[in-house]
Amino acid sequence: MTFSIIARCPDTGRLGLGIATFSIGVGGRCEGVLAGVGICKTQAFTNRGNDPLAIELLRQGFGPAEVLRQLATNDPDHAYRQIGILDRDGNGVAHTGSGTRPWSGHKVGEGYVAFGNVLAGPQVIEAIARGFMADQQAPLELRLLAALEGGRDAGGQVGAHGRLPERSAAIRVVADPDYPEADVRVDLHDEAVAELRRVLEEFKRYETFYRERGLDPSTAITQDEFVARLEGRT
Amino acid sequence: MTYTILGRCARTGRLGIGIATFSITVGRYCYGVKAMTGVTVSQAFAHERNNQLALRLLAQGFSAGAVLQRLMGNDRHASYRQIGVIDRDGTAVAYSGPGTRGWSGHVVGENHVAFGNGLVGPEVAEAIAAGFLAEPAADLEHRLLCAIEAGRDAGGQGTRDRHKPERSAALRVYSHHPYADIDLRVDLHATAVEELRRVWTEYKKYETYYRDRERNPKGAIGQEAFMATLRAAEA
Repeated sequence: MTFSIIARCPDTGRLGLGIATFSIGVGGRCEGVLAGVGICKTQAFTNRGNDPLAIELLRQGFGPAEVLRQLATNDPDHAYRQIGILDRDGNGVAHTGSGTRPWSGHKVGEGYVAFGNVLAGPQVIEAIARGFMADQQAPLELRLLAALEGGRDAGGQVGAHGRLPERSAAIRVVADPDYPEADVRVDLHDEAVAELRRVLEEFKRYETFYRERGLDPSTAITQDEFVARLEGRT
Repeated sequence: MTYTILGRCARTGRLGIGIATFSITVGRYCYGVKAMTGVTVSQAFAHERNNQLALRLLAQGFSAGAVLQRLMGNDRHASYRQIGVIDRDGTAVAYSGPGTRGWSGHVVGENHVAFGNGLVGPEVAEAIAAGFLAEPAADLEHRLLCAIEAGRDAGGQGTRDRHKPERSAALRVYSHHPYADIDLRVDLHATAVEELRRVWTEYKKYETYYRDRERNPKGAIGQEAFMATLRAAEA
């Protein structure tokens, strides 16, 4: 029970991941995102070793299809995994194992992979892809958010007893191997995708201030002053 | 304005970070921890490259003190940084630059660094260290969370007549895997430390279930069925 998108911005080469799920703290299980290398996200019955291993293989120079084959040979329970891989050039592959819980599936598009399991149906994946493609001029983090919102609005996750809420969600976008750019999380909430929008929009207001004060502290205003300006008090 | 505990478990060698601050999404500054390598955070006016540089130096074999020297030598704005480093042996060092704001300082001991800036006073850093040391036999994540709560209860950020709220907080612990054992965040909340405790308490109920279903998918029950057993146990 999860729906995700991994994608590359064709204008900037930035790589990003968006994910929402019923499970708690999903952002803490998203290690497989590395600038200039690629993305791998394993979900359903996840294998925590897969994503770091895939990043190492991508870094060694293997393409996504070969990386996926190597993950398969390394894991006796590969049939229970759902895996999306994207390389730095935006080439994607996906695997939805026969042991993942229905409805599960994926769509590999140009520069992105949309995938999920325990979903209302294939319309969720289609909606994720449409959400991502809706505004191709927007920053990658906002395109990822629109994709998640598309998946949620198309019915999201549905288990044996009906609709499952999104309790955690995360967006991570990288341009530099040393630190993330947009990196926002909601770990436990009744409407995690809606809350993720709130956090991301607030983060976007602070993003430049936080970056610049680190680059040149000697000219930085205080956060109190910055917040006052944001709130129109000065 | 931030307060932080870096800790190493002497019993297991696990490494972790607990942090709380007025800034939002502080968890994005907490990737400076790596299994069997070390743990570091640069804060105040954070130099975003410091953490990964420090981890690479630690992986090359430099001690915590040597890493701190190199970070400072590499940074023309070092006086604005506050940096803590613990290496895999538990040697801990810290630096609180004169350009950091408010009350700024650190308490360093074997296996821990308690440090912060924009704080009510030195009692906050001392309370964080005391909170960390209170239960040395407990799990590292528990000790880190108790340390942060102790910092909050000692006054946290701001001045004695004006408390500045914790709007984000995070907790990360690594053992011997290339991924975190515990990685929880609160990115934007009116009382982020309380919220982190709530998330942690809930997460702990699921932790074993999440791990076991990954390792043995064939025998795993669905999460809805697992939650029914949780509810039955709590009833």
